[in-house]
Amino acid sequence: MPLHWVLATSALLFGLGLYGALALHNAVRILMSIELMLNSVNLNLVAFSRYLHPDQPKGLIMAIFIMTVAAAEAAVGLAIFLIIARNRTDVDVDKIHLLKG
Amino acid sequence: MSAIQVIYLLVTAATLLCGYGVVASSRLMHSALWLGATFVGMAAIFVLLDADFLAAAQILIYVGAITTMILFGIMLSDIRDLRPEPGAPVWTRLLRLVLSPRRGLLPLLAAVGFTAALWVVTARTPWPAEPAAAPDNVTASIGDVMFSQYVLPFEIASVLLLVALVGAIVLAMREEVRSR
Repeated sequence: MPLHWVLATSALLFGLGLYGALALHNAVRILMSIELMLNSVNLNLVAFSRYLHPDQPKGLIMAIFIMTVAAAEAAVGLAIFLIIARNRTDVDVDKIHLLKG
Repeated sequence: MSAIQVIYLLVTAATLLCGYGVVASSRLMHSALWLGATFVGMAAIFVLLDADFLAAAQILIYVGAITTMILFGIMLSDIRDLRPEPGAPVWTRLLRLVLSPRRGLLPLLAAVGFTAALWVVTARTPWPAEPAAAPDNVTASIGDVMFSQYVLPFEIASVLLLVALVGAIVLAMREEVRSR
């Protein structure tokens, strides 16, 4: 398939994730939207690596590192949401202002 | 249109529908399950792009670890999505969504605008229509480059995972345990 198609897929997925991260209230949903955006970035990297530099797998390696960072981010983020949810009932980002002076 | 293009379009449509389910589903648990389905679809797209190793890593890390972790977190913490007035008719909710700038219109404009900009830019650039012949062993070359040129980032990634593990445990420990 043409590279346009893959890039269009990635753009649509990134748009979905961006909307979710901006518009949703629940912190866990925002985390999931960020995962969507990271996935679309991975798709871009894989596609560029495959179409433009098929002999060098650098894009694939970068995607693997992004997966690693996403896993670490999800673990720490969920732990933070867990303690916030333990102290209050929901994790609405509009109501969380623990760091506000 | 060749068979692989048809397969690609079908897989992409399924993946994007699942992604829509993540954002639009009214229950948090359903959202997390849609997220897992989206990750599986992305793995299928990776397979179509001849990135077998990455598809396997995607299944292992995203579907196996991250989705499970999110589901576990939701179940453990009793986090709920508190939706305002679920009984209101759809058009009222839609109208309210569009009229509220912070939660409806601005994010929608930002997301649609960004997607449109990406789309226009990528559509105007001349890209190669079809990929070159697939290299015979992508996984082996990933290993070669990873453990020669990218050894330091690889080690840093392992340290990062360790730090995240310890940090998550410390954060999620109960207060009583910490104060004892």
